[in-house]
Amino acid sequence: MRPKGVGASVPRREDDRLLRGRGRFVGDIRMAGQVEIAFVRSPVAHGRLRGVRAPERFAGRVFTQADMTGVKGILARSGLKGFRVSEQPALATDKVRFAGEPVAMCVAETRAEAEDIAAEVALDIEALPANVDMLRAAAPDAPRVHDDWPDNLFLETFVDGDIERAAADAAIRVTRKLRTSRQCMAPLEGKGCVAVWDRHMEQLLLWTSTQMPHIVRSGLAECLGLEERRIRVAAPDVGGGFGWKGLLQPEEVCAAWLAMKLDRPVKWLEDRREHLVAAANCREHHYEITGYADAEGRLLALDAVAHVDAGAYSVYPFSACLEAAQVGSILPGPYDFPAFRCRTYSVCTNKPPIVPYRGVARTGVCFAMESIIDAIAREARLEPYEVRLRNLVRPEQMPFRNVTGKDFDMGDYPESVRRAVAMIGHDAVRERQKAGEPDGRRVGIGYATYCEQGAHGTSVYHGWGIPMVPGFEQCFARFTPDGGVEIRVGAQSHGQSFETTMAQVAHEILSIDPDRVSVSHGDTALSPYSTGTWGSRSAVMVGGAVATACEKLGARALRIGAHLLQAKPDEVRLEGGAVVGPGGSVSLDEVARTFYRRPQNLPADVDPDGLELTAGYRPVVDTGTFSYATHAAVVAVDGETGGVELLDYVVVEDGGVLLNPMVVDGQIYGGAVQGIGTALYEAMRYDANGQPLASTLADYTLPGAAETPPIRIAHMETPSPNTRFGQKGIGEGGAIAPPAAIVNAINDALAPLGVEIGALPATPHAILSAIAAAEAVR
Amino acid sequence: MTQATLTVNGRRVAVDAPARQHLADFLREREMLTATHLGCEHGVCGACTVLIDGAPARSCIAWPAALDGAEIVTVEGLDDDPLAARLRAAFTAEHALQCGYCTPGMLIMARDIARRVREPDEARIRAELSGNLCRCTGYAGIVRAIARVIGEGVDAAPPRRALSGTAPLAATVAAAAAPQKAEPAGAMTFSVEADGSTRIAQSFVTPFPRAAVWAFFQDPRKIVACMPGAALTRVEADGRIEGEMRVALGPISAAFAGEGAVSADPAAFSGAIEGQGAEGAGGTRATGRVTYALREEGPEATRVDVSVVYALTGPLAQISRGGVARDLAGRLTRVFADNLAASLAGRAPVEAAPLGAGALLWSMVVSRVRRLLGR
Amino acid sequence: MKAAAFEIVRPRDLDAARAALGREGAKAAAGWQSLGPMLNLRLARPAVVVSIAHLPELRGVSETPEGVVYGACVTHAEIEDGAAPDPTRGALPAVAAGIAYRAVRNRGTIGGSLAHADPAADWPTALAAMGAHVRVLGADGVRRVAVEDFAHGAFAPALAPDELVVGVEAPRFSASARWGWWKFCRKLGEYAEAMCGVLVDPDRGVARAAFGATDGRPLVIADASEALRDPDALAAPFAAAGLDHDPVARRLHRAAFRRAAARAGLLEDVPT
Ligand SMILES: Cc1cc2nc3c(=O)[nH]c(=O)nc-3n(C[C@H](O)[C@H](O)[C@H](O)COP(=O)(O)OP(=O)(O)OC[C@H]3O[C@@H](n4cnc5c(N)ncnc54)[C@H](O)[C@@H]3O)c2cc1C
Ligand code: FES
Ligand code: FES
Repeated sequence: MRPKGVGASVPRREDDRLLRGRGRFVGDIRMAGQVEIAFVRSPVAHGRLRGVRAPERFAGRVFTQADMTGVKGILARSGLKGFRVSEQPALATDKVRFAGEPVAMCVAETRAEAEDIAAEVALDIEALPANVDMLRAAAPDAPRVHDDWPDNLFLETFVDGDIERAAADAAIRVTRKLRTSRQCMAPLEGKGCVAVWDRHMEQLLLWTSTQMPHIVRSGLAECLGLEERRIRVAAPDVGGGFGWKGLLQPEEVCAAWLAMKLDRPVKWLEDRREHLVAAANCREHHYEITGYADAEGRLLALDAVAHVDAGAYSVYPFSACLEAAQVGSILPGPYDFPAFRCRTYSVCTNKPPIVPYRGVARTGVCFAMESIIDAIAREARLEPYEVRLRNLVRPEQMPFRNVTGKDFDMGDYPESVRRAVAMIGHDAVRERQKAGEPDGRRVGIGYATYCEQGAHGTSVYHGWGIPMVPGFEQCFARFTPDGGVEIRVGAQSHGQSFETTMAQVAHEILSIDPDRVSVSHGDTALSPYSTGTWGSRSAVMVGGAVATACEKLGARALRIGAHLLQAKPDEVRLEGGAVVGPGGSVSLDEVARTFYRRPQNLPADVDPDGLELTAGYRPVVDTGTFSYATHAAVVAVDGETGGVELLDYVVVEDGGVLLNPMVVDGQIYGGAVQGIGTALYEAMRYDANGQPLASTLADYTLPGAAETPPIRIAHMETPSPNTRFGQKGIGEGGAIAPPAAIVNAINDALAPLGVEIGALPATPHAILSAIAAAEAVR
Repeated sequence: MTQATLTVNGRRVAVDAPARQHLADFLREREMLTATHLGCEHGVCGACTVLIDGAPARSCIAWPAALDGAEIVTVEGLDDDPLAARLRAAFTAEHALQCGYCTPGMLIMARDIARRVREPDEARIRAELSGNLCRCTGYAGIVRAIARVIGEGVDAAPPRRALSGTAPLAATVAAAAAPQKAEPAGAMTFSVEADGSTRIAQSFVTPFPRAAVWAFFQDPRKIVACMPGAALTRVEADGRIEGEMRVALGPISAAFAGEGAVSADPAAFSGAIEGQGAEGAGGTRATGRVTYALREEGPEATRVDVSVVYALTGPLAQISRGGVARDLAGRLTRVFADNLAASLAGRAPVEAAPLGAGALLWSMVVSRVRRLLGR
Repeated sequence: MKAAAFEIVRPRDLDAARAALGREGAKAAAGWQSLGPMLNLRLARPAVVVSIAHLPELRGVSETPEGVVYGACVTHAEIEDGAAPDPTRGALPAVAAGIAYRAVRNRGTIGGSLAHADPAADWPTALAAMGAHVRVLGADGVRRVAVEDFAHGAFAPALAPDELVVGVEAPRFSASARWGWWKFCRKLGEYAEAMCGVLVDPDRGVARAAFGATDGRPLVIADASEALRDPDALAAPFAAAGLDHDPVARRLHRAAFRRAAARAGLLEDVPT
């Protein structure tokens, strides 16, 4: 491997512009003649929209769906049997279906003036009872979100398994009701876009803070009735995504339409209140789950009913059922047991539409599964790690097909537990627990193990039948006439560090210094097609595509180089930015110069396609990589305040070969802190009318530096047999396990009080209430 | 109005923007200095942190016209600052940024921390960083980068100059008698109804015979006059009413206009006033129902049971509930009761100023904004 | 999330400030740290904002044998950093250092905090526990009000629309004084869920406690000696103040008292 290639912690080249405040985010784009829009949003969760009235003096500045003739609603179907289709209009038409749903847009020179107009637009809405509780949504008298549906279900799935026999022999049976809260992904930069009709290109140009420009283009084309070639979607610097920027939004459709209508650049920036109120759209799961085990804590069967609150509409491209339907296949996690039954419901409610957030369904699934494992451990009077060791898939079983037919590629799951136990100092924590804290707090230790299928491709996604099935990932690569390399990929980097890591990959293959490689991404005009950055797929798919393209480009350079060196093609190799042969070397600069400027020196049979190409990549086995990790947390719970302090946090992780370990650690730290938010802080609560009860970051608390412990990471690095370098997808993993590990630790601490927390987030109030309730019982 | 002047990154600039434009937008939109980012626009996230007269401050809640003569420094202005250069290098070495959106605010804060904190103590650095949110990095690299720079030595910030303004004004008038602390008017209960609305029940005794109190309750104008800030604009014979209520709560004020109806059951000595209204410019909607029942407590006294059920939608509703309603609804119901007693006795209401809009709306507003204003 | 239109007045002196406050829809602003978010959210829509933090009369400090008077617009950070004399033997700077975040403390003012009368804010409770006074400038001159009487309730200061808080008098603690301050926040820098200050100053005959993060005005127990012997004595004042309405809040307020007292060295055996 090369010094600045795969596996090296190369410092990031993205940093300098960002550290000097010279990044270009969508809010920084300003075009001559630009106008800004503010949306009038529904104040109620459910209602019949009878009219929109704007004062006369704002004629021509307020638009509703009625003005947008020919613009189609957003449709995200799924091919899964029984899926019910919802159509989301860009602006609400006959009904409003969640508080915050856009109803009208107001346009002015500045956002402040647009908000002035919005404040004077009156909505005539007949409020209807709201469908807020997903567990009651199936009741016959539950309000119907979509009038023409027979009920409120997007989809119901059932995985049948013969659990009865296993259950009959079980010495241990534990049942729990578990809940995760509805969250906002809350990237620090909100969503935003600038749309303009580009006369020169006869094209709609949409700058948007997105993770998937090509997908947004396809969706936009469908809604606007434009050919895709008439649309260019480009992402500038994007201030975090986490899933929230992985969809086509109604606001983007509105801005694009308005830019064409007014023939002026139109800008919309989501503010924090809009984000919290209208985009609280992820993670809300409920499980009723029963685990059966023998007396030694060996899992015999798992039986679960899962509800996911999918909100009011099916979101483009992932659809409304991605989460719930996944639960049925991923709930068993990294465990080997014989019998599994699971029913899932994707429930339609009067809340914002659900969007997959970092980890997607896995965070909820891991919380459910790991809570059951700990419950079994308490029943069996075993250490929780011991129960994990007894049930995890063992390395000698790999490759392994589990109870739901998932193909695990390889890895040593139990070893991740053993290492975490050693790193966290399990026995010392138990000693400390016995001794008691001088300040009276209660210490607890908790574990969570998960495996994360990442970068899954066609063979997995075609079955979902959603608007987007990932196929080949492509990369454009070329030598410039002076010997530099340009890499263009269609995915998008918003913190994932492509500009650094993909240059490392190019360096690995071509040996050219990474500083002479530029990487561009996230622009439909500049790059090949890509489904974008999601599903922990970039390192595997984009990395694989860049490697493939560079290999092919390198082969062409080698041929020219060999000719210049008068060596045989099989005698030369790429080294130090040069083609090196037995008798000497010629720099890649010279090779490029020769091709472009001195073609007279080229061999007669030179490849006329030259020093640029697009190459595609898909792993032969494209069911995904399985990275996995064990997280261990030590907490101190203050029984008087309900406060939880994270004393220690350890992650033992196997992401295969790490393209850039520094960047991987960064993803894990960041993901883990988001997981801490899920575990302890973040919740969007609703009242019974479906009013969201937080609209500022004072109400919706995100973890800060002081709430975060120093996190210790250890890597195992078992290469994946299926990927180019042995890398695995790890981008989401950090966010999966913390809620399970932390709540398990809290429950370990509070077990002597007979207290067990089963709902996220575990706030001081929730913990104190549980303690008070337990005391009342005793 | 005299025009304000600021120094921005060493350059003098006149403030020629509309007064309402906050400093962050002034920098971004007028001065084209886009390093300063907006992550919340309500003071919590720290993305907009700049230096105002050398000290970090939120530019989203500062206004140029109020800062005449101030010196503003943004990240663009720190290009040649040696400490900022060291921090930039440390941020890169420690991978202290991913998307980079929080980074300008983080750097401004990190520089201030490095100048004030002498020891590279991780817990202290984390506490000092608590006002700057980062959603990507988990703070690990940021904390390490700052610790690294502090560990390598930083010149301390000069100690703060002692304050030396004009001495504060001396008291010139006699101390006002402490306001008497009113006794609670009666037990008050709060509950959340099945439909999500909030119910406040209050009971008090007024020293008048039931017939007199009943007669009073049959005149909506008189009842409404007892609610500070409320006025009726129309009363129909069939019980339909129109009116408006002004609420004021700290810096918040809102005017609700709406319509409703009154009804009464003379046999049971009970009745109801219900209504719905919308707040003009704010988009908040409210529905509410006040019910009352009168019971005799001896010949000369009447117990009044009042319950208020309300629900809010829109911006004022979209802030967590809090128990502040308890206190305010209590105080206002007390004022209402006092006013009622005064009116029954033929005196002017004790407190008619629009300090609130009656227990109903006042408490509705308060219960919802609590978290933002305070908790 | 942009403020509705308003005008900013930067008065030359206090008289001009009071005159401007007499205008329709006028509001004072000192540090803008509480008003500013309300403006951006359009929850506050004043017509005129009278910015006062630059006025020298509100920025000064004077020391007397009884204590120190701070101008209303002295900032939290100035108190934290000891830029002004401290008669409380470290109590005031420690409270200041715990308010919000440094960038907020650099601009937020002690007078603005009292005038805002937020039940969960630090100064109203801490200063009430210390027995401090507020100086208020009105039409008739400057009056003096005990901090504990300055709030009618949540966000309801005893302040007429054209009155200004001009100063805060902090009493001088004697050498034997014991002070304890404790608050509980879900997240560092955010508003507290419970808070308590306890001051025992035998030389001055003081044994006080104040509770904040209540639903209304701070609860002040002017003679806390009994509660310091037996915290169960808090039950009655808690009930009277409505602090016992839910078991979680009750636990938290009690814990706040015990821990504040423990920090003052007045109660033993209390975990922190
Ligand atoms: C993110 C964040 C977190 C915070 N956390 C806390 C916390 O934990 N604890 C805490 O105590 N505070 C907290 N605060 C509030 C902060 O301390 C404010 O600075 C303070 O409460 C108000 O001071 P100010 O000078 O900024 O007042 P302003 O915002 O300028 O004014 C507030 C109100 O008081 C009035 N006013 C101001 N000065 C005067 C005066 N001299 N005379 C008459 N009326 C006046 C104004 O008209 C306005 O109604 C926080 C603020 C933010 C933004
Ligand atoms: S944008 Fe100013 S603090 Fe968030
Ligand atoms: S680097 Fe993205 S928010 Fe901090």
